[in-house]
This record gives sequence, C-alpha cells and structure tokens, in this order.
Amino acid sequence: MNAPFFKFGLFGDNASLLVAFLIGIGFGFFLERAGFGSGKKLAAQFYFRDLAVFKVMFTAIVTAMLGVFWGSRLGFMDLSQVYLVPTHLTPQLVGGVLLGIGFVIGGYCPGTSVVAAATGRLDAWVYMGGMFAGMLAVSFMMPELAGFLALGDRGQTTLATLWNVPYGVLVIAVVLIAVVGFVGAEWLEVKFGGVERKAQPLLGAVGLRGSRRLMLGFAALGLTAALAGSPYVGSTATFNTDELTLDVVRANDHLTAEQLADRLIAAVDVPRIVDLRDPAAFARSHLPGATNVPMAGLGREPWRADETVLLYSGADPHAEQAWMLLKARKFPRVFTLQGGIEAWNEQVLFPRIAEADSNAARKKIAVAHAFGGTPRTDGAAPAALEAAPMPVAPPPVVVPATGDNAPRKKKKEGC
Amino acid sequence: MDKPTSHQPQPYMNPYLAGVGLGLVLLTAFVTMGRGLGGSSAFATAAGALIVNLAPETAKTNAYLATFAEGNPFKDWLVFEVLGVFLGGLFSGLLANRATTTIERGPRASVTRRLVLAFVGGGLMALGAKLASGCTSGQALTGGSLLNAGSWLFMIAMFGGAYGAAWFLRRQWI
Repeated sequence: MNAPFFKFGLFGDNASLLVAFLIGIGFGFFLERAGFGSGKKLAAQFYFRDLAVFKVMFTAIVTAMLGVFWGSRLGFMDLSQVYLVPTHLTPQLVGGVLLGIGFVIGGYCPGTSVVAAATGRLDAWVYMGGMFAGMLAVSFMMPELAGFLALGDRGQTTLATLWNVPYGVLVIAVVLIAVVGFVGAEWLEVKFGGVERKAQPLLGAVGLRGSRRLMLGFAALGLTAALAGSPYVGSTATFNTDELTLDVVRANDHLTAEQLADRLIAAVDVPRIVDLRDPAAFARSHLPGATNVPMAGLGREPWRADETVLLYSGADPHAEQAWMLLKARKFPRVFTLQGGIEAWNEQVLFPRIAEADSNAARKKIAVAHAFGGTPRTDGAAPAALEAAPMPVAPPPVVVPATGDNAPRKKKKEGC
Repeated sequence: MDKPTSHQPQPYMNPYLAGVGLGLVLLTAFVTMGRGLGGSSAFATAAGALIVNLAPETAKTNAYLATFAEGNPFKDWLVFEVLGVFLGGLFSGLLANRATTTIERGPRASVTRRLVLAFVGGGLMALGAKLASGCTSGQALTGGSLLNAGSWLFMIAMFGGAYGAAWFLRRQWI
C-alpha cells in the first residue's frame, strides 16, 4: 500500500508542481481530442444535438471510479488518503445551478475555456477575462459569503456513507446509469442532431466491437465491485495490552541517550536506528548511522522480526506511536529513544559539565568528543565553551531545527 | 472521393476513447497526488494575488484574500496544472489542425452578442465555482468518480441549470 505517492512522502512539494504540469498536459490533451476546445460543440450538449460532454465526462468518471475502487481493493492505494472536497449541500446546489447557467451563456467551463483559448478561440479568451473579473469581485465578497458557504455542512462524505449503502453497489449503479445514458445519448443525437444511426459506436455497430466491448468491460468490473466489499482497506493488527503495559512499566520500551551512546561506542547490541522525522529535518541533522523512515512510510518499510529497532523523532510523540504500531505488528525488539533527538543533543553531544574533575564528567566529555560534540560548562564560562577544541570530524548533529513542528500552511486541494 | 488535405481539421476522437484517456489522467492524479483535477482555482489564485499586490492594505482586512499574501501564491498545484492544460490543449489542437483563430458562435449570433455573453458567462461561472468550491473539473469529474456526495448534487444542479437556461439562449448557439 504505497499510493497516493505524494501523501506517503515519495516526492516533495517542488516535484509535485512538475507532476501537476504533466497531469495538466494530459488533461488538456484529452479535452481537446474530445472536441471540448469548441464552444459550439460544448453548447450543443444542451440542445440534445451532440452529447459528447456527457459521454466523455461519464466515461472518465467510470474509468477513474473503477480504477480507484480496484486499486484500493487490491491494496495498491489507500483510498482514505485521496482528498474529498467537503460537502456543503446548499452552496453546492446554488453554485451548481449558477455554473450550469453560466456554461450555456459563456459556452465553456473553466477547464475547457483554457483549451479553447490555447487553440485560438477568441471568445474563450473573453470568457477567461470574464471569469477573472468575476473572481476579483467574488474575492471581496468571500468574507460576507462565509455564512452561506457553511450551510448544509456534511463534511467529507461519499454517497456510500451518506446513504449507508455499500461502496461497490454505488459503483455498479453509476456504471449502469452511464451505460444506459450513453445509449440514450446516442439515440437523442440520431433524433435531434441528425447523426446517422450507423455512425453511432454503441447503437450502430455490428457485433461486439470497440465501444461495446468497453461497456461490457465496465459492466464486468462494476458487477464484481458490487460483490467485492469495501475499498477502504487499512491494515489491521492486534496487540496484547497487558504485555505492552508491562513493557512500559519495566522500562523495556526505551533506551536513554546515554545507554545508546554506550552501545554504539562498545559496538555491542547496536540497534537499527530509525529517524521518523521528515527528510528535510533528517538532512539537517540525525543520529550516527540512522536511516530515515518518515512516519507515513512506516507501513511500507520492510521490518525484520529478528532485528532490534530504535525509533526516535523530534519533539512530537511519533516515536512512541510508531512503537505501538510496530509492537502491534508483532515486532518484539522495538525501542524508542527517550526524549528523542533533543535528548541525544543535550545528554550526549553537548552535555552540561558541572565538576570537570569527576570520573563521570570525564566520561561524558570523552563520549561527547567521540560523537563529534562539545561539552558545555555551566553558565559562568561561555568563553571556555567557545574555546573548547573543535572536533576533527564534522559534527553529525547540530542544533535541533526549530521549524520542524511549525504548522504548515494549509494546502488548498479543491478545484 | 476526396482525401482530406493535411490542412483540414481532423475529426474528433471517439468520445468513449477520449473519456477513458481523461479518466486515466484523473486516476494518475489520484495515484500520484491523492487529489483530483481542477480548472477554476487557478483563476481565483491569479485574482487574489493581483488584489494582494495592488491593494495590500485592503487585502489584510479580508480573511480570504489574506491567504494569498503568504509565500508565493503562484507556487500552487492547480496553477501549474492549468498551465499544463493550456499546453496539452495547444499540442492536441496543432496535431489535428484544429488550432485556428476563430470565434465560436451559432449561425444566428452576432460577434458582439457572442463576446458579451462569453464575458458574462465567465463572470457567472466564477461566482458559481466559488460557491460550489469547484467547477466541472474539480467537482463533477473528480468528485463524481470518488462518489463524493456534494459533487453528485453539484453535477445534477449544473446539468439542471444548463438545460433550464438553454432555451433562452438558443439564438446564440443554434
């Protein structure tokens, strides 16, 4: 289960813009192929003369719907990670009607106007100008519209949850509506559009070929979907709550930074060290020998039951949460680093030394130097701190980054 | 029978085939990004960014506009997607000899009437898309294939509005 790739951290924000551009090219290409660069062809939909809008749109809906259903059902992608625009019944009803009226008046919808403008339709450029002007005006009205936009709030919901109907049953219903609709659309085109019956891919064809085969394929995938159960396939696991409680009580769930440092220096019982933070934080600094497994990739990582794993994170509780998740999946030797990377910095790399002469202090200094750190003496002697000899090796761990846990700017995912 | 010359526009693709192509593009967006396609949002972003640049003080008093003041508003997924749509459309149009400077209108419509209505229709679409948080691409196509409850209501409302208004606008198109 590793799709949607972006949501599982397989590429970052900048790469996502390139993906956007490439997907846009595909989108624009097929819109133009279908004839949606022509306002006349688009508007003909509403006079029953050319129903290509309905045919293309519903074929696309059925294709993507079946792809998402089966991709999720077979465990290739996680449907719960695909963004749903929240449902607000009232503004969506009113907005939909306005959009429909605007479609007949203007001849385009926003996406098709871009394709029409690209292929030289001057009216599409004027339409885009109108839309831009409209957006300017609406921008100023948005705060006043906020109350209206919240009416009929149902949250992120599919028809399956709204009506409490199995997802797969709705899939076959949509497929049937589409296929019956296509046949009806072709019949309307023959009646009102002057299209010859023989030229229609579904009505006019002889035998089972081309478009008819496609419809049969849709029906087959839809019917099996109705019987296949829910496409929301998470991975489930159980754990023994007593066992986990005892692990915690006996401190059998974590290592301290100093314990880890000892093991690393002695090269005994060295765990596989796993950094759960995002790749940017990992790149800035990490523990020696650590590998980066961002939280979202936890389920994908091939863990081995016979290895000892040490999980750590920043100031968030990700390490403890990941510990639970891996324990539930029956990996017995999983530990967290108590206090995360900050504890490593504070206790191992830059420990405070009160009495420089004690054995404990000498050990701390040696350990800090071994990992390229610098011990700190208490408040009184900042000069001594600066004068301390710089480690030969470049310090693998620098100041913990401050931006790691800053709330990210909310991303718009709607249209 | 005359063979079509290389300069004649080619016929459009079989709508079901084009639909499968479009559906696969949409599916690619779901699989790679976990989100669908869009159309109107790029225009909203451009309008918001323009206001923020021309009247930054006004923009500060408007919670909606303030979102365009953070960072670079054009570094946005849907802005890049719509740039791609333009290029993809141009590419397909050129391949099929369909890219020509023209004004789409019915036999009874004057150029002025057509252009005025195109502008008005565009403006109305902007309001509709903002109210519905999406347009034909983001709601009907994307939400439709995800069985999104609001998207299906939107789709029915949109076709209802369009068929209801069509009779009054027949002089423009047929």
